[in-house]
Amino acid sequence: MRFRSGGSFAAGLLVAAAVLWSFATTDVELSRLMSAGPRIADFLGRMFPPDPSVMQEIMTGSAETLRIAILGSLGAVILSIPLGIVASETMVSPALYRPVRTLLAVIRAIPLILVAMLMVGAVGLGPLPGIIAVAFHATGMLAKFYAEAIDGVSRAPIAALESAGAGPLVRLRHAIWPQMAPVVARDTIFRFELNLRESLILGIVGAGGIGFYIQTYVRSFQYDKAASVTIAVVVMVIAIEIVNAALRRRFT
Amino acid sequence: MSGAIEIDDLGYSHPGVALPALREVSLVVPQGESVALIGPSGAGKTTLLALLDGRLQGWSGRVAVLGSLLDPDRPPPKGRRADTGFVFQEFALVERSTVLRNVLNGRLGRMSPFRALMGSPTTRDQEVAHRALDDCGIADLAGRRVDSLSGGQRQRVAIARCLAQEPRLILADEPVSNLDPARAGEILSLLTGAARARGATALFSSHQPDLARRFAQRIVGMRGGRIAFDARTSDVTEAATAELYRDEAPTPAIGLRAVS
Repeated sequence: MRFRSGGSFAAGLLVAAAVLWSFATTDVELSRLMSAGPRIADFLGRMFPPDPSVMQEIMTGSAETLRIAILGSLGAVILSIPLGIVASETMVSPALYRPVRTLLAVIRAIPLILVAMLMVGAVGLGPLPGIIAVAFHATGMLAKFYAEAIDGVSRAPIAALESAGAGPLVRLRHAIWPQMAPVVARDTIFRFELNLRESLILGIVGAGGIGFYIQTYVRSFQYDKAASVTIAVVVMVIAIEIVNAALRRRFT
Repeated sequence: MSGAIEIDDLGYSHPGVALPALREVSLVVPQGESVALIGPSGAGKTTLLALLDGRLQGWSGRVAVLGSLLDPDRPPPKGRRADTGFVFQEFALVERSTVLRNVLNGRLGRMSPFRALMGSPTTRDQEVAHRALDDCGIADLAGRRVDSLSGGQRQRVAIARCLAQEPRLILADEPVSNLDPARAGEILSLLTGAARARGATALFSSHQPDLARRFAQRIVGMRGGRIAFDARTSDVTEAATAELYRDEAPTPAIGLRAVS
């Protein structure tokens, strides 16, 4: 296959136009761009040394983030079980699973932070909008995974139970579930890891957790404290990854 | 005594396939008889067995199983499905579950919907399952996971699951084609013996005419979706079985079929 020269020329023009348009319409003056380097250096200088006095806030914030991730994941699992069933080819007709899959794709397309902002508007500040947002956002992925786990099992035992007189839910419980259980465990742990990572920043929009302190300290120019919280977040992310790598080894 | 199976002028085509899988099939099997269904691949054996199990719809003709007419448009109700047991060629077991769990799965159609869903068998369900394990000689394997068993052991589990159903009709689709000849004889002996002991009718398909001769009272030969012959085992000639398989062996000179 060869590129037609006319096509690649047009593509080049398009990219150049996009870059020029971005420069022309964004407030990026050359002088400001030049001074950004020293300003960032100055900012980083003011972050150093990190202020360890905020340990109490870090602990409180981290614990709240962990609670948001746990309860949000629990909500996602509860929502994903029925939605996963009605999104699977094995359990329902195309007239049902096609629209459900489309709905799940739409849910996945909405960023978590956007859902969290909307939920803060709906139910007010605090961890509750965070929990609702995580549960909603994670369901888009988890229900899809559960449906794929149902559809991925061997069909023969399902037919055998049908032949013995078992109804659809009994077949799901005794022929499909024993086969899909390890996949469900692995997928759920994976989604919990994502939930924990993503909920670290929810506090920035007022939806609870450690992100609240980053935003508070940056807004009030206490950069040394913001630095401590940032380091804590990085440590948490690394810790989550180590724990999950160990868990995943157990389930595969 | 009415027949366990009464088929009159049955015809069936798989959806989207022009050539019919079954044509003008008529067959009566009395209760308690063991019948072998033999014939080459594509003769319609598997289709006929699945249809009798209530898994195929859209056929023509008249089919009665255990005294009840099958509906050509919808599967039979749960209780009647449980009366007909099916042994699958590929065992169709839940690999990650224990032997006992798999055998208890055969009871699901006999339990109340709540007990079936919760997986809590009654004492009687457990007794029936353990008797089936005993009869199949695998009582000592009850706690083992199926994925740790050999092929012969798996087929015993599959037969035990079928017996736990307490079926009055046992259908078996090539139950021994995945096993070596010694195991094949043991399994068919077990299957037909268990059926006889329970007064159940057995209809099994097989690729091997010699096994059919050893374990069936009657042999039905199928070819191209039709019944080619239907006779008492003692009346079935080598020539009749050879005729069924006449174009299956590409080099007739070797004569493997004649030897067996």
